[in-house]
Amino acid sequence: MTILQTNKLTKKYRRLTALNQLDFSIEKGMVFGLLGPNGSGKTTTLGMLLSVLTPTSGSFQWFGETPSAKSRKKIGAILEIPCFLPYMTASQNLKVIARIKECPIASIDRTLKQVGLYERRNDPFKTYSLGMKQRLAIGAALLADPPVLILDEPTNGLDPQGIVEIRELIQEIAQSGKTIILASHLLDEVQKVCTDFMVLRKGEKLFQGSVREALQEQITIEVAAKDMEALQRALSDYTGILKLEKKDSIFVLTPQKETETNDLSQYLFEKKIVLSHLLQKDGSLEKQFLNLLSEHT
Amino acid sequence: MIRLLHIEWLKLKHYRPFWILMGLTALITIGVCSSGMLFMEFLKKEGADFKGFDPTMLPLYDFPDIWQNITYVASFFKILPAFIVIISIANEFSHRILRQNIIDGLSKKEWLLSKILFMGIIAISFTIVVGLIGLVTGLIYAHLDSIQNMFSGTSFLLAYCLDVFIFLLFAMLLTLIVRRGGLVIVGLFMYTFMIEPFGVHFLNYYPHLPDGVRAMALFLPIRAIHNLVPIPFPRYMFWEIQDYVSVKNLLVALCWGGFFIAASYWILKRKDL
Repeated sequence: MTILQTNKLTKKYRRLTALNQLDFSIEKGMVFGLLGPNGSGKTTTLGMLLSVLTPTSGSFQWFGETPSAKSRKKIGAILEIPCFLPYMTASQNLKVIARIKECPIASIDRTLKQVGLYERRNDPFKTYSLGMKQRLAIGAALLADPPVLILDEPTNGLDPQGIVEIRELIQEIAQSGKTIILASHLLDEVQKVCTDFMVLRKGEKLFQGSVREALQEQITIEVAAKDMEALQRALSDYTGILKLEKKDSIFVLTPQKETETNDLSQYLFEKKIVLSHLLQKDGSLEKQFLNLLSEHT
Repeated sequence: MIRLLHIEWLKLKHYRPFWILMGLTALITIGVCSSGMLFMEFLKKEGADFKGFDPTMLPLYDFPDIWQNITYVASFFKILPAFIVIISIANEFSHRILRQNIIDGLSKKEWLLSKILFMGIIAISFTIVVGLIGLVTGLIYAHLDSIQNMFSGTSFLLAYCLDVFIFLLFAMLLTLIVRRGGLVIVGLFMYTFMIEPFGVHFLNYYPHLPDGVRAMALFLPIRAIHNLVPIPFPRYMFWEIQDYVSVKNLLVALCWGGFFIAASYWILKRKDL
């Protein structure tokens, strides 16, 4: 089932084109990472999808329908910073949201416990630390138990412990089958929690695909031996290698998809080459991302 | 509708400045509106000369005149509840509450409606306060034979209610345009008490103005709203006054009210949040 579909979504500010003819879709159950450097159009995209920005042209559909206040009630979202009335407590702020979303008041306490703010529920929002504010924002997004969550930089400004907490919370939510859209410039974060991702730059879509496939393309194996010449000969005869590079005193090779590191080790052993260095390096979204950006400059 | 009112109530009921301004408005209104006789006694003691009249003999609180007298005076204090409207809307901009409300599933129309409905409640609350002042002070000061006219002239209460309500709509529109609470408060104060009155004075008294231009004075917003309850006091100097709510004034004021709402909606609709 398609949760979200955009059609040539465009936003222009005078001369600047913040987003240019963006087409993408999100299926149910995806944890969708929205990547891009600062100013690439991530928040602009989300702002339009949440009807706080008006598209210059193009359109989008939530749940196969024209977007409306009703469809937004089925979406829990935080955009940039947590927004609450500072003089009101967590409970009081969530009460307003519960009334807007028309969900039961009873879900407030449950949500507060879920994000670990139950003890502080009667303190004014302005007394909260940044981490607590961020957790309350996530709580507010979860309040109506929506099928779709949109989180824009949810770990912004958090300390390492807070980041881990939020990440675990997101993974927990993802396992419950909700669809999540996560905008971030922290590639590591997206890699850890997302199933799919899209890369934006200067308002253009550079890439969309699955995280697992993208990572698989990035595996490299490092090898070295005493007799580097024999090693090179053996490697150039081996068919399972896409690319072979010499870096300092080691070879870095990119294996074909079906090539496993132990196959290579076995092969070299049969060729009577004893390795002094063998290391499989998993891919990272960071590499992929930097590749994408450099390919498009 | 109840839901929208409840949302606004939840936002304001924990906001201390809201209660302070509401309380202050009520206190000042009660204080000033019910002390007319004390003021006259003060004038008498100071030896004020009303062409041989005893100021305390003025039937300020006789029915039905009392209604026009107190609603006219009370109308001056509507600037205070306007501050509530300005602060609450400016707050929503600075804390990005409006934006978050839209994200959470309120439409812009609903947001506006929740504000407008609440302004209606504020206007009605003060109308009730003024109505009670009228009843109590009237029963204390009015001459007995006027009691039979107790409820004639209460149309001024409705006019006062509209007067406050439309003024609050004006404050809302200004805040939606400017978005900075402090600026709007200063601007509204200057416009209401200085700029427009000066403009009206200019239109009324500057020589060589064609009549058509002169007539515009009646249509300026603050004047138009204020005209819902025309000034009553010259009657005590035996001048002729308009002692009823005129349909023409009512229509002009309602047009402004409609314009304020429509313009607010238009601005909100257009602006990115």
